Formats: sequence, structure tokens, C-alpha cells
Amino acid sequence: MRQTVPFRRRLFAAFLIVSLIPLLICSAMLLQIFRLRLVREAQREMEEQLHAVSLSMDTAFSALQEAAEALREDPLLAQALAGGVEDTAVYKALFAAVESARSYAGFDLYDLTGLWRYSTWQAPQESRLPTDWGVLSAAAAAGEPLRFTACADVTDTASPLLQCAVLLTDDAGQPAGYALVSLYQSHLRPLLEGKYGAQNDLLLLSRYWRPVYCVQPALAASLTPVLRGRLLAGEALSSGADPFLYAVSRHEASGLYLVLQRPQVFTEETMRLLYTVSLTCAVCCIAVSVGMSFKLSRQLSRPIERLHQGFGAVERNDLSVQVSAEGRDELAELEQRFNGMVAALRQNQEVLVENQRELNAAQIRMLQAQLNPHFLCNTLDTMKWISKINKVPEVALMSTDLADILRFGISPEEFVPLRRETEILQRYIEIQKIRMSDAFTFLLRVPEALLDCLIPKMILQPLVENAILHGLEGVSAGTITVEARQEGEMLRITVEDNGRGLPEDMNLSPGREHLGLYNVDTILRKHYGGGAGLELRSLAGGGAAVTAVLPVRREEEEGC
Amino acid sequence: MIRRLLALLLTLLLTGCAAQSTPPELSFAPGEGERLVLYTSHKEEVYWPIVKEFEERTGIWVEVVTGGTNELLEKIQSQADTPLADVMFGGGVESLTSYADCFTPYRCAGAEAIAPAFQAPGDLWTPFSALPVVLIYNTKLVGAGALTCWDDLLSPRYHGRIAFADPAVSGSSFTALVTALHAVEGTDEEVLRRFAESLGGRQLQGSGDVVASVAGGTDLVGITLEETALKGVAAGYDIALVYPSDGTSCVPDASALIRGAPHADNAKLFLDFTVSAETQRLLTGTFCRRSVREDVPAEATMPPLDQLPAAEYDVAWASEHRDGVLMTWAFYLGGEEAA
Repeated sequence: MRQTVPFRRRLFAAFLIVSLIPLLICSAMLLQIFRLRLVREAQREMEEQLHAVSLSMDTAFSALQEAAEALREDPLLAQALAGGVEDTAVYKALFAAVESARSYAGFDLYDLTGLWRYSTWQAPQESRLPTDWGVLSAAAAAGEPLRFTACADVTDTASPLLQCAVLLTDDAGQPAGYALVSLYQSHLRPLLEGKYGAQNDLLLLSRYWRPVYCVQPALAASLTPVLRGRLLAGEALSSGADPFLYAVSRHEASGLYLVLQRPQVFTEETMRLLYTVSLTCAVCCIAVSVGMSFKLSRQLSRPIERLHQGFGAVERNDLSVQVSAEGRDELAELEQRFNGMVAALRQNQEVLVENQRELNAAQIRMLQAQLNPHFLCNTLDTMKWISKINKVPEVALMSTDLADILRFGISPEEFVPLRRETEILQRYIEIQKIRMSDAFTFLLRVPEALLDCLIPKMILQPLVENAILHGLEGVSAGTITVEARQEGEMLRITVEDNGRGLPEDMNLSPGREHLGLYNVDTILRKHYGGGAGLELRSLAGGGAAVTAVLPVRREEEEGC
Repeated sequence: MIRRLLALLLTLLLTGCAAQSTPPELSFAPGEGERLVLYTSHKEEVYWPIVKEFEERTGIWVEVVTGGTNELLEKIQSQADTPLADVMFGGGVESLTSYADCFTPYRCAGAEAIAPAFQAPGDLWTPFSALPVVLIYNTKLVGAGALTCWDDLLSPRYHGRIAFADPAVSGSSFTALVTALHAVEGTDEEVLRRFAESLGGRQLQGSGDVVASVAGGTDLVGITLEETALKGVAAGYDIALVYPSDGTSCVPDASALIRGAPHADNAKLFLDFTVSAETQRLLTGTFCRRSVREDVPAEATMPPLDQLPAAEYDVAWASEHRDGVLMTWAFYLGGEEAA
């Protein structure tokens, strides 16, 4: 399971990337687009409202301008300020001159010393105004545009909020007095009301951004210094932290600034809600990613683990292993193919073993068939009879023995009882004794119980032959002992001699030397497999012992 | 890589709003040449009409920063390397003199019309108004003629009933104390001791409390500036003012051009405007102050300046000995308290 952890992590990271990033991008973009659209919409709306206010003010201020011109052009008014004109005539002229503008402002006439004389409105509180300070000192001469002066205190609604003065001249062009135009809150309110939206506020600011008018004068008094400070500091009026949006336009005819205040389209609360929704989505994404990565990695790691164990079994030569293939994905297919591969391997191995066995049998038959035994047997029989006729008993004996040995050799059965094998061995010894003039002693010690054990045919003769030819060479009183013993399930047949012993570099290989021993060993191994074969050892007192080890089998068993 | 991506996203998310262009309303902001930054310790009723008229006349946008005299002077000193303000408007000339390093001398237009007594040595400051020190008394509790001079304050009649602001806090109070030192006969130390005894160890926290304390009857008499007293009278308080017969001082408050001012030209225009005849006429009329110009007479209700009994007043001496005088004063006043 060690390798699956980083795999899971990689899956998790991948899921996070493919889920969270698009989500975040989408939320961010949606949020921004939504916000920008709303803000732009609000700004457009505010501009329209400001435009409407501007138009309304244009009407009023052009009427005021016309009235100012009319006042300036009426010679009677200048004369009146010098004195000597009947009040009724003056008022008639005054009212006629300001006819169209009277709803927008109050008009007063002051003489050159700043003393109040006539008014279309109630008489002012102060009957004298300084002529070197304030509004009268800024009086517009002929041809000059009106210069409106802001009030000193926006919250003092009893005083005019906006004033401008016009210099009146007599026939000779000498200054004769002043006409004062005063706009009170009662003039401005109907002019602006209903033009800028119920939720908004409109501020009129002077050319130096001092408050002039607002429906709520206290708001103007508190807000204007803030806005002015932002303007002078070069900051945007609608800063992010401000709960309001602002739009500004300049009204050229009056030199005033119109500032529209509107609640932010996105309040802090709305933004917080949207952020919370985005955050919740992100958390869901993370949770789903964790779940999916766990599930997928488990789906992947289980079959991989099963395959891993399967491969381990194959490495240990266990071809019977099969993995359980669940599901219908590529990994299940891989598991099925693994099972198929192991099955094919097993089948191959079985075929291979079978072939080898058949080959071995063929080789053994080939060995047995290397001589044409029937011809030799018949010849030997003939030799026996001829020697009996010619009274040569040794030849007759040798021929009989040899013929028995040969007959035994070519008999078709592969396995013979130990009794029979020992009989043939006796025949062979007889021949060898005649050949070697009784130069050795032969001892056979086989328990009666073992005589009917089945052993491969002709395995003792090569062992004894080897002992005679190599072990007893040059030994005067040689002894060869053949002894059979049962140890557990195994039958041990030992051929001992008291000759020279085994050469030190002796080993069983298919060379020219010891070909007989090699063949016997091979036959034993092929027939019985592991555990069977020859054991060679030198004896302590000289001589060698060769033991054939093979399982104990009886005739009856063979029959079954 | 992922972290970098996330960081980028977050930045996008949080700063998306910053992608807007410059707001259009900023085109309405005045250029640097049309600005003036004013530090003032005057009350709004004093500076506001002047600032408003200055804006209307010159088209210069004025930014006003208000505060106490010492507070503003310390601010100017801390900004000495990169001054933000152009003009210090207000503050006694002693205070301005002690921060002489922060100011650039400027001889204003119309300086020749200013009375020589109010001309600044080396034109360091531009005088604004003359402020004589006066005595006031409660007209209900004190008979007319009972208080005429500084010496009267030392009489046992008023012991412990004198309204006097802490001279360490109030600049005008310090001026009054120094005036008294000059006016009353005797060594400085002797006068301080006697005066402190008369106060009975009690002084007011600020100069604004003096008129109220006398008018309310807590104190019988008080020491304040002519302007403050006249305003009190105008507001209908039961007080009357007395110009002490043994002499009073008339130390002006002033304005000064800050060294390295970012809008020095506009600042000079403003200084010129503060001593212009119109402005000076305004302050005699509306503010109950005295003009520093010779061609602007005092209101008819005020005695002309040259008829006031003048006490000698040495601004340089007062600046120099301020700490010493205050320490002696605190010693005698505190000793009285302990007794």
C-alpha cells in the first residue's frame, strides 16, 4: 500500500485543480462582471439624473441672467436708486424686469453705499451690505456673466443659499447701485425635487466645493468637507469603503457643481453573502475532490495489489495462482490476462515435462536395443551345445550364463524383482570368476523380505562391473559385497569393494569414464525423480561403496 | 505552481475593482497653482469669512487645517523637511517668534499702512489684529469704579475670586501675566508672589472659561483679552471691561509664511489679504478686534489704541523668560495651595 499514498495525493491535487480553479475563476469573473455591470448601470442612471437636474437649472439660470440684463437695461431703476422716483413706479419696473425669473429667486436693489432700497421679496434682515466685501464687491458689470456666491452656512436656511449681484449704471455709465439676486432654499427645492431619484441625495456645491444646497442641510455640512478632501487629495469620490456612489457634473451657467449621492449597488452585506456562497462552493469542491480521490485510488490500488501478490506467487514458481478479476475496467482485463498467462505457463510446463519423459523412455529403449540380442542368444546356445559335445564345460557354463544375461537384458519388462536381478548378477559373477581365475570373493546379502522389491532392470550389473574393473584392479584378495537394506520408504542397495577406492576427482558425468555408473544414476533419477540416484563414497579402510537409492516398491503395487 | 495560480486568482478576485480608470470627477480638482494649505488656530467664525472671501476673489482653493497654536507649530516643525502647509494663520507673535526657524520672512503688500508698533522685526510674521489685555468684572457684584488697575487685583476684596487661566496653557494668559509684571511696581518675583496669593491658589484651565466664570458670579473679576470681553458683552453677559490704568499690553496675533511652502505665491496673496483694508475693517466690525492698520480706526465703542494706558511689553524678553516666569509662578501658586 506504500505506493498508493502519493498516488492518492496526486489524484487529489488533480481533482482540486480541475474543480476549484474553474470555480474560482467563474465566481471571480461573475462577481466582477456583475458588479461592473451594476456600477456602470448606476453611473449611467446617475449621469442621466444629473443631466435632468442640469437642464432644470439651465432654465432657471438663463431666466436669472435675462432678468439681470433687464434690470441693468431699465434706466428707471438706476434713477430710482439716486432718489426722486415714486416707489410704485420703481416696483412696477422691478417686477416687470424680473417677471420670468421671480419664481427662481428674490431680487433686491441696493444703492451705491450698500443700503437696501427695494425688494421683490421680504426686506432683508440687514439693511446694509458692505460694498467692499462679499457679494456686492463681486457685482457683475455690464457684459460679465453672473458670479454666484455661496452662503456662509448651508444649515442656515433662513438666509439666501446663493447670491449674485449686478452693478447698475445710470445713463452716463456711472455706477448707480446694485441689484442682488438671492436664491433661498424655497427657490432651489422645487427646481430640483423629483429629478434625482428617491433613494439619492443631491448636493449643490460652490465652485470651490463649499456646500450650497441639499434637501438635508446637515448632510451637506458634514459630507462636503469629506468630498472636498478626497478631491484635493486626488482620490476617487466613490471609494470602496464608502457606502455611497457619487457622480459629479459642473453646471456651467452658475459655476456650481452637482454631486449626486447614491447608495452603493453592492453593499458590504451583499458582497459578504456572495463571498460566502463562493467559499461554500469551494469547500464542497474540496470535499468532493477528497472523496473522489479516495474512491478512485482505492479502485486502482486494489487490483494492483492483487496483481502484485499474483506476480510474487509466480516468482516463487507457484503456477496455480489466480487473481480474482472484479469489475469491467482495464485493470480487471489486465487481471484476466494475468490469469490466462499463468494458465498458459502451467500448461506449457506440463507439456514440457511430458515430452521430456517420453524422450527419456525412448533413450532407454535405444540403449537397450543397441545390440541385436536374439542373434547373440542363439549363437551362445549353439556355442553351449558345441562345447558340451566337445567336453569343454567352462565354455558351456559361460555360454549359458551369457545367454541368460543377454535374455534378461532384452526382456521387455522395465522393472524386475530384486530376486531376479540378483540371479542374473550371480551369472555375471560366474563369468567374471572364470575370466579372472577366482581372484575375488563375492558376497550377497539381501534380506528375504526385500527379494520381491521391484527395481529397474540391469542396474546392479554395471555397479559390480565397475567395482571389478576399477576397484579391484591389481588387488590380490578382492571382495565384493552386495547388500540391500530398507530405510524408511527407500531401498538402499550397496556395492562395496575393498580395492583402491574412488579417485578424488570422481563425478558422474556422461563422459567415457564410468559411463555405466552414469547410466544407472540417470535411469534411477528419471524413473523416481528427486531423492533417487547413486551415492558414492570411499571407505575408511580402503575401497569404495556405491549405493543405489530408490523407493521400495513391490510387485503387487506395480500391478495396480 | 498551484499556489501561484491560486494567488493570481485571489488577486483577481480582490482587486478586480481596481481596474477602473481614473474617476472623471478628478478633472474638477484644482491644479497645484490654485491651492493653498492653511494651518489656523483661529476659531471658525474668524477664519471662515476670510477664507471664503479669499477663495471668491482669487479663485484659489483653500484647505484649512485647524488646531491649537502650539499643536500646529509643532506639526510645522516636524514637517520642516517637506512642508505640507503654506501659511500659519493665528497665534501670538511670541509663539511664532519662538518657531522662527520654520518661517520665511515676507513683507506684505500694504505693510506701510501697518502701525509701527505691530511691525515684525525682520518681517518674520504679518500681524493680524491687536489684542489688548483687559480686566473684567461682574456688574452685579462689583460696583463701577471698584476695579481700575492691576494693583486693585491684589487687594483682599478679590482674594480667591479672580478668574485667571493657567498661563502655561493659555498664551493670552501668559501675556497678561507679563503685562502685570510690567505694570505693577515691585520686583518680578514680588509681583508674582502677591498675584499668586491673590488668586488663592486657584486658576482656570482655559482662557475660554474666564468670561463665563465672572458672568456666572463664581469670580468677581477676571483677566482676559479685549476681544473675548467685548464678545461677552455683546452676548449679553453681566460683565464690564476695564482697561487697567496702570497700563496694558497690546500684543498682536499674526500669520507667517512657512519656510519651503509648496504654494508660496498663493500664501503671499493670502498674507496680503489678511492685512488688506477690507479684511481689517471686517475684523474691527464683526470680530470685536482691533486692526493693526493705522488707516482702519477702531469701532466707535472702543477707545482708540493710543488713548489706552500702555505698559511696556517686550516680546523678545517674554519669549526668552517664559520658562523662568512660569516656573516661579507655579512655585508661588503651588506654595499657596500647600498652605
